[in-house]
Amino acid sequence: MMDFVFALAIGILFGIGVFQLMRRDLIKVAIGFAILFAAVNLFFIAAGAFEGEFAPYADNVAAGLTTSDPLIQALILTAIVVSFGSFSLVLGFIYIISRRYETVDSEDKHVTALKN
Amino acid sequence: MANNHLLLGCLVTPLIGAIFALVFYRSNRVQRSVGVLCGFAAWLFCLALLVQVHDRGVQTYALGNWQPPYGIVLVADTLGGLFAFMVTTVMIFGLLYTFHSRDNCMRYPAFVPLFLLMEVGLVGAMLTGDLFSLFVFIELMVLASVSLTAISDDNLGLEAALKYILISSVGTLFLLLGIAAMYVTFGTLNLAGIARIILTGELLSLAPVSVLMLLCAFLLKSAVFPFHFWQPDFHTTAPTPISAMLSSIVVKVGVYGIIRLVTLLYVEEAPALQLWWLSVLGVIGIFFGSLGALRTYNAKRMLAYSTFAQIGFILVGLGWGGAVAMVGAIVYAFNHAFIKSALLMLMGVVASYTKKKTANFEYIQGFGEKLPAGIGWLFLLGGLSLAGIPPLNGFISKLALIQGGVDRADWLNLIIMVAAGILTLMYMVSAWQHIFQKKPNAKTDAAKAEGDSAFAPAALIVICLLLGTALAEPLLQVVTVTVEQIRDPQVYIAAVELLEGGG
Repeated sequence: MMDFVFALAIGILFGIGVFQLMRRDLIKVAIGFAILFAAVNLFFIAAGAFEGEFAPYADNVAAGLTTSDPLIQALILTAIVVSFGSFSLVLGFIYIISRRYETVDSEDKHVTALKN
Repeated sequence: MANNHLLLGCLVTPLIGAIFALVFYRSNRVQRSVGVLCGFAAWLFCLALLVQVHDRGVQTYALGNWQPPYGIVLVADTLGGLFAFMVTTVMIFGLLYTFHSRDNCMRYPAFVPLFLLMEVGLVGAMLTGDLFSLFVFIELMVLASVSLTAISDDNLGLEAALKYILISSVGTLFLLLGIAAMYVTFGTLNLAGIARIILTGELLSLAPVSVLMLLCAFLLKSAVFPFHFWQPDFHTTAPTPISAMLSSIVVKVGVYGIIRLVTLLYVEEAPALQLWWLSVLGVIGIFFGSLGALRTYNAKRMLAYSTFAQIGFILVGLGWGGAVAMVGAIVYAFNHAFIKSALLMLMGVVASYTKKKTANFEYIQGFGEKLPAGIGWLFLLGGLSLAGIPPLNGFISKLALIQGGVDRADWLNLIIMVAAGILTLMYMVSAWQHIFQKKPNAKTDAAKAEGDSAFAPAALIVICLLLGTALAEPLLQVVTVTVEQIRDPQVYIAAVELLEGGG
């Protein structure tokens, strides 16, 4: 059951993310970008979260409890940091673009005229 | 086996350089000196590493002395060592170019640090033995190169950077999904560990999915046909030394990844995978790239399209897949890095002398006579090398590649390839005539008194000449050893296993 819920959630997030990434509005593009990374992180969690129920401490392992996979969590942490960095860079670019052309519409006629 | 500290040196030297360059943010000169020094030191480390790998076999380093199943391990086999050596060599000249460049963006205090971080990413991606740290290094390289393009003097640089970071992040997502699928299937992310499980023969559930995802990600990073559309914009608008790096060595990360994928991980499935996908994509890339280069309006853009075509050549070589063709592909990748970076830097020198700072063909017709003597001849030499005329190194790589094709008896692709080689000659020579032979007309831009120094590209062209004559034999010999080594994944696996045992 839980697997199905996760699969559905990942699918929906991917759908929303890809759709937003193709919008004209750059802010929505940035939001889609963040959602896509969230979907991938969720995929990582789904890959290893349901193996065990306890935190992977040495005590828990010694007590013979089934612990969840710590490596997955380390990977997700790194992936979150990387995606956060890229996301802030994207937002910075969009900020400068919006200041330069006074719009966040990527197909603004006024801007096209400016460039040609 | 003991840890080999040279591996760490290759990686940490540019990183330390980046930090030091940040400390000296007040003085641009000091920053650039630190950059060149660290680039040179990293080159020395890589050279020593390559010699050691060549003499004594695969070298390893367990980071923080955590042993492989749990820790991250750096591995240098001849392939990784050779590519890292190529990267650091070209990087030195990129850093040297910044020394005498007048672009405004190079006064930006973060320029040299970002440049060095790009080097860390590139070298790291080629020396790591762990799939997840491969992702981290590639992302470091992407973020650094995107930031460097965004601060370009060209106003369109920012938009190209935004476009690239979005597209490349989708590629990164594929990489991450592939890595997650790998982890679910194999329970480890160590390349040697995965290869060991795959060698036992059973193909596990998510393995085909993961290999497709990884392949897509690598193809996107090296701008191969269906994923190429960001490339000309991004490579044209970047500052000169950066675009020289992007077009020559950054695209090679994808090539390196594909070689690793088909030689270390999916050895059994490689023939089916290679012939079908890569050769066809490569041939399409050669044609689109060459024709695009022939008809475009800007000299730098022409070279960017030409990169797209040249990566196609490498892919066709990988697609043929035999030992001979593999040698051809690796030699091609190695030589192309030097030719393309030299040509792009020369174009940057030409653009730096124009008032508008442009390489648009309209404004630089006949501009050659206002330049210092010799630049035209250097450009012609580079162009001939790209087209594969002896005695330059382009000839050696074309020859090696064609031998691979004859070996596979794949005549159709071979004929297409040779025909496209003639296209290369056409666009390079016509660009040369346009800039250096025609008479200037009314639209030709006025010249500035001073521009960038042509020292770095001249040195690169000399290296091209050497690689085509005196150094051709040693290069071929090293690459032959490389191919022998990567065709037997057991070598790589055994080296990492030794680390697991002893420490």
